[in-house]
Amino acid sequence: MGIVVEGKGLTKHFGEGDARVVAVDQVDIAIEESELVMFMGDSGCGKTTLISLLGCILTPSEGDVWIGGEQIDYENHDLSQLRSEKIGFVFQLFNLIPYLTAVENVTVAMDIAGMKGNEAEKRAAELLTQVGLDQRLHHRPAQLSGGEKQRVSFARALANNPQIIFADEPTANLDSRQSANLMNLVRELRQEHQTTIAIVTHHEGLKKDADRVIQMKDGQIVSV
Amino acid sequence: MNNVFLKDMAYRKARVILTTIGITVLIALILMLGGIMNGMRIQAQQYPTFTGANIWISAEGSGSAFVGFSLLVPEHLAYLDGAQPLKPNSVSPLVFAHARPVIRGKLGKAVVVGYKADKLGGPTQFELSEGRLVTASQYEGWAEADIPPREVVVDEKMNLEIGERILIGNKELKVVGKAKSLMFVLDTPLLFMDLRTAQEVLLKNSLHVNMMIAQAAEGYTPEKAAKELEGFDEQLKTIDVRTLKQTLRDIIATYVDEPMKAVQFLRVMLWIAAGLIVGMITYVTTLEKTQEIGVLKAIGASNFYISSLIIKQVVLMSVVGVVCGLILSYIFAVAAPIFVSIHPVESGIVALISFVVCCAGGYLAARKAIAVDPMVAFRGEV
Repeated sequence: MGIVVEGKGLTKHFGEGDARVVAVDQVDIAIEESELVMFMGDSGCGKTTLISLLGCILTPSEGDVWIGGEQIDYENHDLSQLRSEKIGFVFQLFNLIPYLTAVENVTVAMDIAGMKGNEAEKRAAELLTQVGLDQRLHHRPAQLSGGEKQRVSFARALANNPQIIFADEPTANLDSRQSANLMNLVRELRQEHQTTIAIVTHHEGLKKDADRVIQMKDGQIVSV
Repeated sequence: MNNVFLKDMAYRKARVILTTIGITVLIALILMLGGIMNGMRIQAQQYPTFTGANIWISAEGSGSAFVGFSLLVPEHLAYLDGAQPLKPNSVSPLVFAHARPVIRGKLGKAVVVGYKADKLGGPTQFELSEGRLVTASQYEGWAEADIPPREVVVDEKMNLEIGERILIGNKELKVVGKAKSLMFVLDTPLLFMDLRTAQEVLLKNSLHVNMMIAQAAEGYTPEKAAKELEGFDEQLKTIDVRTLKQTLRDIIATYVDEPMKAVQFLRVMLWIAAGLIVGMITYVTTLEKTQEIGVLKAIGASNFYISSLIIKQVVLMSVVGVVCGLILSYIFAVAAPIFVSIHPVESGIVALISFVVCCAGGYLAARKAIAVDPMVAFRGEV
């Protein structure tokens, strides 16, 4: 199995002087194809910052990132295009666009990547059917439950066949039944798409599904 | 999915409608103010052009015939009547003065034009829509005790009937004719009366006039005639001579451009207000949408994609606002109590400038949007 995402010597600090905070400190990490990795640790330990660095949303203060074996050149790479084509994101607060229906929320990700028209709509409907929302295609986020919104989020993350999906606390706003259903979905998606998934979570109960649990503290990986 | 911006606008339709209404009203006001000024310019030129005169003579230092206080005496007429640069027998003395006539017991506004029968400055029978011209005085051998004909030709838009009486300077004048509409600035109607009548009701029977008008003789351009007349006046040194072109320039400057400077300033302010309305509302909306924009950026939307969403919305609101503003201004112009002339070319220029100003406001909001950190997608933190 090849390495999908790799970071070497990753450091990210915010602020300067006395206000300087080191969020991620000299982290080396590699995530392999089809792997389900979970990042755990106390609040503020740097989990979200680390996946933001690996997902090319943040630029590291030091260190390098490779996506699909290609080193990221932060000055010359079009990072937004890279994110749209190779990376999927699922957020804690679902972050669906409120004025778009479920199918449109998935289509917009394909629109950004350049896929237009019926082809995009057809694929969006297929993905939503896969996540069990075939009866909710034309519902707006306000008409969906938390669990359903998070399923739309996963469908959106899968829209452009990403090499990896980063999910930030995907179950934090769900009750235990919805969390269990979502993890079932993650398992199904892995079987179906062989997708590599990295999940940031506080939820100890999710550990059993992980191929690897990465424990973080003070911006560093303390155990794998 | 080219219609994301439309769906966003539909979602925030109340704000979109209010913004568009704001642009519409401001554009209509900008055009109306321009139309009022155009109307004033047109009306300011109507009477001088109507007279057929191309030489305008006023007292020296008065500014020009319509501008300052000008008084000319009968000696001027005698002097000018035989002047070579002027067409023989074309010099016409005129009283031209604003007055407050009492019409059906109410104080009105009008411009009194006192002219000599068969001379330049007054209407001909052909230019009346009803009735007859005023009776002419005996100009030669005039004595102060003589009573001039108390008759007046009114503007047809004054809705007076033939035979009705109006009061000017406590003198009762009988309406004998109605002239086809010929207004002065701000829809001020003209009242034509005999020169002596005007002198009696406005100048306490003094034989002074405000101005004299004439036509240049054959072989003379108005400019050449005016220059030579100024030269002939070496002895008297008491007259200013202007061509029709100069007179129109003076009259527009005095009655329209100078008093309307504040209005011009207001128009610029309204343009800025239109830009600010679009800019501020789009900016505030953009701030509200920070999370959405952050998510779009996180999932790969380029700066171009984000800014085009906002620019498309602003362009659509501006186009609709500007078009509705144009339509509304024409409706206002018809309903306005004064003459408003909205020029199509000016409308186009106003529309274009307004569109650019609105888009500039939207551009600032778009710049704010592309500066959003995609990290806001994670827990709303930056």
